[in-house]
Amino acid sequence: MLVRDCMTRHPILISPNWSASEAERLMSENRIRHLPVVEDGKRLVGLITRQRLSMKPEMLGSLNVWEISRYLADLKVKQIMIKRKSLVTVEEDRSVERAASLMSENRIGCLPVVDDDDAVVGVVTEVDISRAFQEMLGLPVDGLRITVRMPNRPGEFAKLTRVIADRGWGVMGIGTFPSRRNPGFFDAVLKIPNVTEEEVRAELSKIEEQKVIDVRSIV
Amino acid sequence: MSTIAERKSPTEGIRRPDEMPVLRVDDLSVAYKVRDGEVEAVQDVSFEIYRGESFGVVGESGCGKSTVAWSIVNFLGANGYVKRGRILFQGQGLVGKDPEELRRLRGDQIAMVYQDPMQALNPSMRLGDQMAEVLTVHRGISRSEADKRCVQMLERVYMPDPKDVMGRYPHQISGGQQQRVVIAMALLNNPALLIMDEPTTALDVTVEAAVLDLIDELRHEFDTAILFISHNLGVVARVCNRVGVMYAGEMVERAPVTEIFANPSHPYTQGLIRCVPKLGADKSSSVLYPIRGRVPAPDKRPSGCGFSPRCDYIEERCRAEKPKLRPLGDALLADLHSVRCHFAEEIDPGAWTPPEDMEIPLLNGEKRAAETAAAETILQLDGLSKFYPVSGSSLKDMLGVGEKRQVKAVNGVSFDVPKGSTLGIVGESGCGKSTLIRTIIGLEESSGGQAQFLGVDITDDLADRSSEIIEELQMVFQNPDSTMNPSYTVGQQIGRPLRRFNKVNSRAEEQAEVIRLLNAVRLDGSYYDRLPRQLSGGEKQRVGIARALASRPELVLCDEPVSALDVSVQAAVLNLLMEVQAEYGTTMLFIAHDLSVVRFFSDSVAVMYLGQVMEIGPAEAIYAPPYHPYTEALLSAVPIPDPSAKQAHIRLEGNVPSPLNPPGGCPFHTRCPRRNLLPDNGAICAQEVPPWQQAAEGHRIFCHIPLETLAEFEPVIQQ
Repeated sequence: MLVRDCMTRHPILISPNWSASEAERLMSENRIRHLPVVEDGKRLVGLITRQRLSMKPEMLGSLNVWEISRYLADLKVKQIMIKRKSLVTVEEDRSVERAASLMSENRIGCLPVVDDDDAVVGVVTEVDISRAFQEMLGLPVDGLRITVRMPNRPGEFAKLTRVIADRGWGVMGIGTFPSRRNPGFFDAVLKIPNVTEEEVRAELSKIEEQKVIDVRSIV
Repeated sequence: MSTIAERKSPTEGIRRPDEMPVLRVDDLSVAYKVRDGEVEAVQDVSFEIYRGESFGVVGESGCGKSTVAWSIVNFLGANGYVKRGRILFQGQGLVGKDPEELRRLRGDQIAMVYQDPMQALNPSMRLGDQMAEVLTVHRGISRSEADKRCVQMLERVYMPDPKDVMGRYPHQISGGQQQRVVIAMALLNNPALLIMDEPTTALDVTVEAAVLDLIDELRHEFDTAILFISHNLGVVARVCNRVGVMYAGEMVERAPVTEIFANPSHPYTQGLIRCVPKLGADKSSSVLYPIRGRVPAPDKRPSGCGFSPRCDYIEERCRAEKPKLRPLGDALLADLHSVRCHFAEEIDPGAWTPPEDMEIPLLNGEKRAAETAAAETILQLDGLSKFYPVSGSSLKDMLGVGEKRQVKAVNGVSFDVPKGSTLGIVGESGCGKSTLIRTIIGLEESSGGQAQFLGVDITDDLADRSSEIIEELQMVFQNPDSTMNPSYTVGQQIGRPLRRFNKVNSRAEEQAEVIRLLNAVRLDGSYYDRLPRQLSGGEKQRVGIARALASRPELVLCDEPVSALDVSVQAAVLNLLMEVQAEYGTTMLFIAHDLSVVRFFSDSVAVMYLGQVMEIGPAEAIYAPPYHPYTEALLSAVPIPDPSAKQAHIRLEGNVPSPLNPPGGCPFHTRCPRRNLLPDNGAICAQEVPPWQQAAEGHRIFCHIPLETLAEFEPVIQQ
C-alpha cells in the first residue's frame, strides 16, 4: 500500500492571507486538525495545526482586553503557521510504512502529500495510517484471528502457507511482528474467514516447530 | 470484451463517518433580475457531494439545472445573484466571496466541462499550447515539464497517439477526442470538484459510452467529487451514485441512483422514466408515455406544488400548499431518499394507467407489418450512391492529372420501402444517413445506382422533378428553430406549401385547411397567428410536421425529428408522428442516432456504417441475435435508464475511418470486435467484400461471420 492509497485526497486548504480566526472556524466546523496553507497553484507554504491556534498566555499577558481583540482580529494565517522549511512532507508514491516512520521519527501527526512542484495532492494523518493498519490485518471482515509463532528462518512461513493452501482457506489479512519477548521468533497474525477454531488448531498444530499462540474471533 | 458491465451497489464508496462533503448546497435560491422585478430560477435546492462521488442532476430544460452549476462558480451573469442559502465548498462559503479568492479556487480546485467541447477549446491554438497553458500560467511549471504532464494526462484519458495530438488544432480531431482533451485539461490541476454540464450530449452514442466509462474510472482514481448535469436518465444511471431530480427550479426528489430507478416516488420522476425508451426485451417496453403540458416559465410557476398542473394525482392540497422536500419511508433511508410531494407514499407507479385523454399509439406493429407486406413498394433503392469529389492541393491535382478522389458518403445502398411502413435508419454521425435522405429528396444529386419513387426515377436533378413528385416527398427537419422563418406566422408557414401545390383555391379555404392540420398535430386554432419565437420546442416541431403534411405526401423523411427536444416532449412528438401516420397512411423514413428511439417507431430498421447498410430487417429482428457486430456494439452503447439492467460492455476502438478512403473488404473490419471469430483473425474481412446473408425473411446481414455464429451471441441487454 502506498501513500496515494491511504491519503485523504482533496483536503481542505487555506491561503496564508486569511485571518487566523477564519482558520480556526474552518477547522472546528469541519472537525479537522490540520490545514495545509497554499499559495496559487496549491503550492504548499505552511501548515496550521490545533496547537498552533492555542494562544500562549505570556503572549497576551501584557495586552489589555481591547488590545487582545485587535491583535486577534489582525492575526493572519501566515503568522501562526508552521513554515514550509520546517515541514515534513511525503510524496504519493512512497510506502505507507515510510510515511509512518516519518511521522513517528518526527513525532508529528500529519504529513502533507505533495507532488514534484510542491503542490498539495493530499494529507496523511495518524488516522489514515491506523486505518491502513486495520485493513492490513483484515479487521473489516469477519473471521478468526490466528497468531502463529515461528522461528526466524527461511522456509517457516512456507510451511504455514502450505497447510492453508491444502485446506483451501482464504487469508483476508496478514502481518508479521518480531516476537516481543522471544528473540529469534516471529509472530504471524492471520485473518481467516469461514473456519472453526477446532479445525484451525488441529491443522496448524501439526506444523513442526510452530505454535498457535492465540486464536480469537474478534470482529 | 463482452463481459457484463458491473453495476454499482448503493453502498459503493462507503464514506468515512467523520467525512465532510466537498460541496454542500443548502437551501439555495438563485434569482435573475429582469425588467419587471425578478424571477427565482432556482428555489430551495439542497444537496451535498462527497469525495469520489458523483451526484447527478436531471430534469428537462428550463428546470434550473445549469443555474445551480453556474451559481457554484458565480457565472450567473450581471443580472443573476444568489438570493438565499449557502454554498459551501470544502467548508468555505462561496456566496459573497472575494472575487479574487473565487478565481483562485476555480483555477486550483474546481473545474468545469461543458456540453460542446469546441466552445471550450480555442480553435486557433494548438492543443498542446492550450493544455500546457493551464500549468505554465497557473502554476509556473516550465514548458517542457508541462508538456510531459499533458501527454501523461492525455494517455490517462485514452487519447490515441497523445504526442501527435498535442501538435494538432482542435478541428483536426474528432468530437469525442475533443471532449477527452477538455476532460484531460480539467483534470490537470487535480480539482476537488468537477462540474460537468451535459458533457456527452453532443457526442455520438458509441463515443458517449466510451466517455462515460472514462468519467466513471477517473472519479475512482482521482477521488474527484463530480456534479453531473444531464437530461438523459440513461446517462445518469451509468455514472452517478446519487441523483437529484429537478423540476421548475426545485429539487423534487433526491435518492441513490438504484433507489431512484427502483422506487421513483415523485410523479415527475415516474413520468420521466415512463417517457424514455427502455430498449428492453420486448417491443411493448418501448411504448412512450409523454408527460402532458410543459415546464412553466420561472415567472409563471403555480403557487402550490410546482408540478401540479401536469400531475395525474392532483388533489386540492397540491394547489393550495407547497410541499416540502421531506424524507421518505423508514428512518433507515431517511437521509437517503427525499421527495417533494404530499402523497408520495400513496402513489404506486405500478398501478399507473395512462389518462384517457393521452394519445398512446396502439401496439399494432405486427398487424401493420402484415398489411404492408402485401402493400406495393413505394420507394426502391438499388445501389444508390452519393460521392463528393475532393479537390487535392498538389500540383498534379491542379493540372487535373492527379488521381480523382471522392468522399463516398453513400455507397451502394439498396432497400425497398413498402407503402405505409416506417423504415428507421440508425448509425453514428458521419455514416451517411442524412446524405442518403438528402439524396432521396433531391437536395443532393446522386452519383450512381437507381432510386425509384412511385415507379418514377428520382435520381435526376431536382429542377427536372415534376411538382407531383415534390408534393409527395416531404421532410421534417432536426432543428425546428433553423427551419422556420422567424418572421412568418405559423399560419403562413403551413399555408405556403398549400398554395405552392395548388391545394387550396381561396384564402378562407387555406385558413380552414391550416387549422385542420394544426388540429391534426394537436395544436388549436389560436396558434394560427403566432410567430415561431412564441412556441416551445415541441410546438415548433409540431408545426414542422404539419407543414410537411400539408401537401398530403406519400413519403415523409424525418431527419432526427426529436433529438433536439426534451424527453417528455420527445415522447409526445413520436407518438404524434405514429398517430398521423396511421391516420394518413403515410410512409416514413426515420433517421436516428439512437437505437432505442427507432425501436417502437419503426417497422424495419437499417443500420448504416460508412455509407453502407450493414444490416437491415424487421425492427424486432435487429434487437436480438443474430445481428451484425456493429449493431451489437451500437446496442451496447445505448445508455439504459435502469441501473439494474445488465448490458454487455462492447466498446469500439478507434475512430470511424475517413469516407475519403474507406477500408477495403468489409468497411467495419478496422473496428470490428468480433473479427477474431473468423480464422486467421478475420483476414478475409480486410480482403473480401462480405456477402449479404439472409437471416430471415427480409432480414439481411452484411458480414463474413456465419449466421450460426452470429446467432450464438449473447443478447446485449439482460434485464
